[in-house]
Amino acid sequence: MNSKKNDLKSLELTVGDVFSKNARLKARNVNVFYGENKAIDNVTIDIGNKEVISFIGPSGCGKSTFLRCFNRMNDTIDSCVIQGEITIDEENIYDKKIDVVPLRARIGMVFQKPNPFPKSIYDNVAYGPRIHGLSENKEHLDNIVEESLKRAGLWQEVSDRLSSPGTGLSGGQQQRLCIARAIAVSPEVILMDEPCSALDPIATAKIEELIHELGNEYSIVIVTHSMQQAARVSKRTAYFHLGKLIEVGKTKEIFTRPKHNQTEAYISGKIG
Amino acid sequence: MFSFFLLTGILIISLFFFLLGYNRAKNLINLNQKNLHSLTHYYGIFCSLSALLPTLGVFFIFTICDDLVFAELVKEYIPNEVINSKDYNFTIVLAQINNSVEGLIFGTPPQWVTNAAEIWKSWVIKSNILTMIVCAITILTSGFLSYKKIHSEFRSRNAVEKIVMTILAVSSVIAILTTIAIIFSVVFESIRFFALIPYDEFLFGTVWNPQFEGAERAGSGQEGLSQYGAIPLFAGTFLISIIALCVSVPIGLFSAIYLSEYASSKERAFFKPLLEVLAGIPTVVYGFFAALTVAPFLRSSGSMLGLDIASESALAAGLVMGIMIIPFISSLSDDVINAVPQSLRDAGYGLGSTKNETVMKIVLPAALPGVVASIILAVSRAVGETMIVVMAAGLAANLTANPLEAVTTVTSQIVTILVGDQEFESAKTLSAFALALTLIIITLGMNFYALHVVKKYREQYE
Repeated sequence: MNSKKNDLKSLELTVGDVFSKNARLKARNVNVFYGENKAIDNVTIDIGNKEVISFIGPSGCGKSTFLRCFNRMNDTIDSCVIQGEITIDEENIYDKKIDVVPLRARIGMVFQKPNPFPKSIYDNVAYGPRIHGLSENKEHLDNIVEESLKRAGLWQEVSDRLSSPGTGLSGGQQQRLCIARAIAVSPEVILMDEPCSALDPIATAKIEELIHELGNEYSIVIVTHSMQQAARVSKRTAYFHLGKLIEVGKTKEIFTRPKHNQTEAYISGKIG
Repeated sequence: MFSFFLLTGILIISLFFFLLGYNRAKNLINLNQKNLHSLTHYYGIFCSLSALLPTLGVFFIFTICDDLVFAELVKEYIPNEVINSKDYNFTIVLAQINNSVEGLIFGTPPQWVTNAAEIWKSWVIKSNILTMIVCAITILTSGFLSYKKIHSEFRSRNAVEKIVMTILAVSSVIAILTTIAIIFSVVFESIRFFALIPYDEFLFGTVWNPQFEGAERAGSGQEGLSQYGAIPLFAGTFLISIIALCVSVPIGLFSAIYLSEYASSKERAFFKPLLEVLAGIPTVVYGFFAALTVAPFLRSSGSMLGLDIASESALAAGLVMGIMIIPFISSLSDDVINAVPQSLRDAGYGLGSTKNETVMKIVLPAALPGVVASIILAVSRAVGETMIVVMAAGLAANLTANPLEAVTTVTSQIVTILVGDQEFESAKTLSAFALALTLIIITLGMNFYALHVVKKYREQYE
């Protein structure tokens, strides 16, 4: 009863449908503080199963901060305090009983700058399965690596040089390697924090295509600066402004008929 | 005194040229009603630097060369019977003359020395006058020429840039030349040593015993009295260094990991300077800590266990040396570990690694070359360390791998050989240089290798 009331409170702020029928991740009244600074202000949103949703908004609007709440990456920042509730399959991820290690295996992450480990391509992908003990033997691990690289669309390019360093690949290949590394632990959700901002247009196109395909198997949350990218890859879009979730809706509708005037201003290039 | 006044004069004149150049630039602006290429003070700086630098060069050449020239010239005033006598040594004769010049007269020097000193003094006055004249000519001509160069099109800013670059380049060349000079001085003495003692005996001999050295050694059939096998010294050095590394590598590395990965910024700000204080303690203090505290402690605790530990043992010296080099390893490794990009840690955490897994499997492997380099630098520091060993490890050149016995190291032998009055002809004294040369080669090799490793590490992220 109480939570219903809270939902309504944040609904006053957010335009559009924040709820999802088969929600995987649920964020309820999430506030994030960096010290005294309120970075996220009372955000409520659902992320559906096998759904690609993009977070857009001007720089500093808190979209990356909010994204990092889903796999508790903000834990590493001392001054960061998170209030509210985030659940994955109805399990509160900020519950004291929750171990963050398996949680992060369930919710993978791809970062802004490609960050392969200074190890071989094989070891990069095998890292996750190894630390989580996902493979029974060498053969099984080989399979996982091959499968992950195939899904990331990198297998053809690197199958003959798995033992060469991952840092030697091109930027776009490195980012796809990072995606392969993330999906090697078979996560349920993949968080992507501006995955294409350091890449050239061709590499970007490949990653976008990949996101599109992966959307059939995983829930994907992608933070992006590029509205075109949001329009191309996602079914739903959420618009953030100054830590508040302003509007959520079907991507088509957000970009053609935004309901909130701030969204409209951003879409049409007046702010941002 | 003369040099001081001359230098002051040169500085004042070059300051004067600064004003000249500055005013000329100002006048040019007023005259042409148009700004010059560079700001006015650049014209002044250009003027004064181009007057100052050549003059300083001339000044130093003259002050360095005049003694050398005099030494050559004074040879004519040494009587032939002195030159032909059996124990004639020009260096000593020159020192006699110089002492006489400076008024340090011991007893009654021979007449020819006093004469030579008088002539020398007259040369000094002449050379001072000559130096002054040449410096004056140089400063005035070069200053005036540069003053003439200033016209409305002249780019003094670029010219000053070039002059500054030259100064910087000369400074680095001086540093390099000094290093080379040090190495060469050691090399020449070592060559003299190897003329007396075959190098294979030095490098591969297992007994170090230079005590009975006398002039009779060379070719007099007295061989076997003193022995110059350097192996016990280097073995001792490496034994102590290895003990030191066993202490410092784990402690240094782990504290670096703690400081860079686990400590909060407050703890870090507190502990890191504290660790670096260790590096600021003079090694002689470590030395008596080792000799007066650690060694007796080891001895008494050893006797409780039934072990016979010498009161001067490799173990005591090695332990304390290890503590001494902890800050080298921890501080350098900490920097290297901090240089590992945060994005790699994020990637590790994002995949669900624990902190320990992230450190061990991602951060440390990425930082390993730098960590190795810091260890190698620490080793060369340990190998070169003297005071602790002199005070705590003893001077007995035992060839042993037992850390409980007294050993000695290369550096402490060099110290004992060179302390006090020495005859420079004896193999004993010269052996210090041969030891130093070998040590320099080893530490240079290690430093070179360390730099190579660091370079390789840098390439990984670029």
